[in-house]
Amino acid sequence: MPDRQRRRLSDALAGGTSRRGFLGRAGGWLLATAAGTAALQVGIEDADAHHYCGHTYTTGSCPHPTGIPRVDVHGYPLRARDGHPVDDLGRPIDRAGHPLDAHGRRLTDPGGRPLPPAPRSRVCQDGVPDRYGFHTQIDGSWYRCCGGKVRRLMDCCAYHRTRINGDEALTGYCYSGRRVFCVMYFQTNVPC
Amino acid sequence: MSAAAVILLLTAFAAGVTGAWSPCGFSMVQTLGSARARRGARAVHASCATFAVGALAGGAVTFTALAAIGEALGGAGSGASLAVAVAIALLAALGEALGVRVVPQIRRQVPEPWRRTLPLPLAAGLYGVLLGLGFTTFVLTLAVWALAGIAVAIGSLGAGLLIGLGFGAGRALPVVLMAPRYATLGQRLELAMAERPALLRRLRLADGALLAALALAFLAGGSASAARIVAIHATDPSAAGGALAFERVDGAGAVLLEGGARSELPARLVAIGGRFVATGDRHAIAVRERVSGAIVVVVPAPGATQLAVSDRWLVWRADRPGGGDRLWALPLPLARARPAGSAGVARLVAGGTGARAAIDRPALSGDRLAYAVTAQAGSRIVVANLAMRRRRVVLSARRALLAQPALDGDRLLFVRSSYCAQRLELTSLRAPRRARVLLALGTTAKRDAGHEPGYTSQGSEPSRCPRGTPRPTDRTLWTTALSGRDAYVTLLRPGAGRTPAAARIVRVGA
Repeated sequence: MPDRQRRRLSDALAGGTSRRGFLGRAGGWLLATAAGTAALQVGIEDADAHHYCGHTYTTGSCPHPTGIPRVDVHGYPLRARDGHPVDDLGRPIDRAGHPLDAHGRRLTDPGGRPLPPAPRSRVCQDGVPDRYGFHTQIDGSWYRCCGGKVRRLMDCCAYHRTRINGDEALTGYCYSGRRVFCVMYFQTNVPC
Repeated sequence: MSAAAVILLLTAFAAGVTGAWSPCGFSMVQTLGSARARRGARAVHASCATFAVGALAGGAVTFTALAAIGEALGGAGSGASLAVAVAIALLAALGEALGVRVVPQIRRQVPEPWRRTLPLPLAAGLYGVLLGLGFTTFVLTLAVWALAGIAVAIGSLGAGLLIGLGFGAGRALPVVLMAPRYATLGQRLELAMAERPALLRRLRLADGALLAALALAFLAGGSASAARIVAIHATDPSAAGGALAFERVDGAGAVLLEGGARSELPARLVAIGGRFVATGDRHAIAVRERVSGAIVVVVPAPGATQLAVSDRWLVWRADRPGGGDRLWALPLPLARARPAGSAGVARLVAGGTGARAAIDRPALSGDRLAYAVTAQAGSRIVVANLAMRRRRVVLSARRALLAQPALDGDRLLFVRSSYCAQRLELTSLRAPRRARVLLALGTTAKRDAGHEPGYTSQGSEPSRCPRGTPRPTDRTLWTTALSGRDAYVTLLRPGAGRTPAAARIVRVGA
């Protein structure tokens, strides 16, 4: 089996391993395995029915400057494609926050000075409260295998009855009465 | 009001007047005019008043809504939208000149029973609304359709309101003029309108001429929301009165345009304000009288990277040791009284303490200084009164970039950038949150699809940009200037590595 296909299969298996119904789904997967490749394909499609690997529910992403809600370990936004830090305008930046071009060079103004940094806020802890007007925080998380690396799936939690997409909020990995408002992820370098 | 705006108003008014030849237009004059005998002059006057109010309201609703649609569709203020507006105006002008049949036609009339079942002033008001709406009854001129298209293409709520009020006034005027004097003037005019179709033909020719003039005005001066290039290879505009100064990108000095004259200034930095022009490099700044060229003061300013000047103050930005920027201010009357370059006169006004922050180009208007401060935790625009030593944050944002302020009296021009768009906004210091967008560009960042390859888009909605967001661009809205009805902004294509930055300055109506 080619490596890419194997990864997708492992992703699919991990994706199907819901935090809420592991045993039930495991039984389903056993049946699917017994039924052969065709059944596995169905499983892959089920896992793909969301917007990024590992996320198995319908909650929407936390608003992110580049789209796919990838963040660093502190919750600051990263470009999903390569994990490069981005500012709140979605521009790739260096350590000092100066925006960079596609080749990683600092962008400069007509005087040759680096373009000034723009704000950079944590997607859940700063960005969501700024946009929606209530306090949010990260409580717990769950890990799955995505793209051959372990991925940490993070819920952005709030004392709020609805999710970002308007559906009723669920507990997810939130504690102390808080519920999931939106979701994001941190991609580790741990192979799986 | 610009020439284009005046012609737009006249065109809408003429289009409204042309509507008097419609079945409903005739009916209104007759209905309100003939009521005098039965209900008295007061009832007729009241009905004319409510009819006029209704027509104005109807026109405002229709054309402002169309402009809002145009704004929501995006692209308002772009060259393409201006080209569409020009094309619509020219096509309709040609149609009116040739007297082509108005298509599409709306073969509907206002409800006749209202005149019998409702009090006359109320019925007249409702009739006014329907006629003012423009597209609920017969359309007598192509100008009505053209104005609708232009309102969408321009996408400016102000322009939409202007068209609506002009159109409503045009629809109301013939009725208000003829109905109260129906027995004398009204009937004669009604007869002439009915029996001499040449009058309508002439009016449609006038509509066509106004549309052609409107197209020319758009081309010549640009619409209120269209940008026009005023200098290429140029950056950091500075405006005062009718004068404009800017720096050349290629390092070949600065330029001052005033009263039709162009002066080349051997300086890396330039700013004008009040009666002064300030020029500088990384070592010193010279302030001169703009008219005479006489030097007022020369100030040592090591590390100066930007400057601003007014009749009372000179302010410059310099690098802050350890990173970030600082602003220094020098009161010009004091500087006059003391020898040039006397130390200790300039005082630090921003960037002295606190976290390292980037400060944009400062802007001055009298004693007021505006500057934008950006740090990781957010950005803000601060306005300081240098004479009173007071300052206040007039705008702040946690995730957006507020940058490049320019001041003219109590009006503030600035750039607001988010991950979706960059906007040149104009506001008042009295109500700074109520800003008007003068120019909008897309973001310079590359956004992904919101979902990983092979996955669905379900759940990606919160990060998406709203409909009508301009397309991404490689241009950054950069330094600004504001003077009277002219707002200037530098369109910057940043440099990188050995590739130098490119920039041009455009002007938009403020």
